[in-house]
Amino acid sequence: MTAEVVAPGPQTTLQGGPRLGYRHQGVPWAGAADPVSLSIANRLVGNPAAALAIETSFGGLRLAFLAAADIGLAGALADATLDGKLIAFHETIHVRAGQTLSIAAPATGLRSYVAIAGGWCGSRFLGSSSTYLPASLGGLEGRALRKGGLLSWNTGHRAQEALSTPQALRPVMQNGWTLRATISAEFDWLNEVSKEQLFSQPFLIDRDSNRMGVRLKSSPLEFAVERQLASGPVFPGMLQCPPSGVPIILLADGQTTGGYPRICQIIRADRHLLGQLRPGDRLQLLPRDAEAALGLLRRKGRLLRQWLKEDVLF
Amino acid sequence: MSEAKIQSLAEDCLEVQVSGTDIAHKLADRLRSDAAYEEVVPGLQSVAVRFNPSRLDRASVAAQMEAAIQQIGREGLSAAMEEISIPMRYGGEDGPDLAAVCELTGLTADAVIALHSQSTYRVELLGFTPGFAYLSGLPEPLDIPRLDVPRVRLPAGSVGITNGYSGLYAMAGPGGWAIIGRTDAVLFDPIADDPFRIRPGTKIRFVPQ
Repeated sequence: MTAEVVAPGPQTTLQGGPRLGYRHQGVPWAGAADPVSLSIANRLVGNPAAALAIETSFGGLRLAFLAAADIGLAGALADATLDGKLIAFHETIHVRAGQTLSIAAPATGLRSYVAIAGGWCGSRFLGSSSTYLPASLGGLEGRALRKGGLLSWNTGHRAQEALSTPQALRPVMQNGWTLRATISAEFDWLNEVSKEQLFSQPFLIDRDSNRMGVRLKSSPLEFAVERQLASGPVFPGMLQCPPSGVPIILLADGQTTGGYPRICQIIRADRHLLGQLRPGDRLQLLPRDAEAALGLLRRKGRLLRQWLKEDVLF
Repeated sequence: MSEAKIQSLAEDCLEVQVSGTDIAHKLADRLRSDAAYEEVVPGLQSVAVRFNPSRLDRASVAAQMEAAIQQIGREGLSAAMEEISIPMRYGGEDGPDLAAVCELTGLTADAVIALHSQSTYRVELLGFTPGFAYLSGLPEPLDIPRLDVPRVRLPAGSVGITNGYSGLYAMAGPGGWAIIGRTDAVLFDPIADDPFRIRPGTKIRFVPQ
């Protein structure tokens, strides 16, 4: 069963769960930049949370279905149509053979997800089919979708029932984000003014952001110690500060090791929202200690698990 | 080794500092066989453990890390690793930055090639991108800075030098190192259980073709 890409949008890839467990060989995770929205989209069509879905960035996707299918849309809300007729996010949608799905650019948030009953097909590598663009791994020959390309999905599975994501679980997209963070190993390398500034002055999201990292704009952070850091492990959600003083937060495709001071890490419960930060958005960080971060994760995990019927990918 | 310093990278991630890569890799292998962590990642002087807090408790992860360090301290480090020879084509299309390296170092192309191929390198770390190997053992005259503008895509097998290291790209990918040559040796097999041929500790010699 296939669908033809009529228009791919600025950067649309197949993304599912992360490629966990190979960072010691230099293999980044890849996977949905907003894994909670991926899980929610998959739930609408009865798939496992980590099944492969389409991830758009700034919308722009048009897809002609050559066979009937059940789909679910989640993530950044945008005008979505089937043959020109508006359809809803967060509902199970039946698509008939010959219909064309369009997803426009969202007004807030960045990435929308299209899950399909059975899951989209991609090439599997080290336990995941998620696309890693820099080394052309997974997905559709490791590439972004292209005009005229064909996507196939696994058949033999239809959505069991029409579902609607409970209102309380639909991630709220905004232009000003407040994310919580725990301090990391080299936080103390900052001078006192910058330590204060990190959690009091909002950052702007830079245009240069991508799936590897979200670049921030701010008055530069300053260091109290001038020290070289031996290349060490880094992870998605980590805020690193290069010598320029302008931080970068690593995202799903972020490299596995790095040599910049690791200042703080967005808490696991909030990390999925990093995938929705778009250029021009404002970001305010709030400090939390590890205990508080774990408490917030337990609460959010419990809420989502009731609906997803499985552990959430954070 | 008894005074392990465990620090928090995040609520779901702890790191211990160690003296170098031998112990980092040994500790990482040990920890990887201990429990189902999401990731165990060695650095040049550290090992980080990333875990799922809904399955594992932070305090017990820290305790496991302590225990693993103690155990490794008692066992000592393992013997020498295998040594492999890698055929290399230096310069030309395969090594587009060889001329720039000559200019930076004041050496002739032949001298750069002779220096680079006379040394035995050691794989210190795999990281940054899939299968990329950081090799120590670069002769000092070849110590040059990173490229101003990184390349978007280098072919698999590219060999570069930068900041006191030589680097080997197992797969095609982006890179900011000065590329002086390339090998046809297959360093990556996507359908193997363990797709990367180069492992930490491996000794490498480059043989000009």
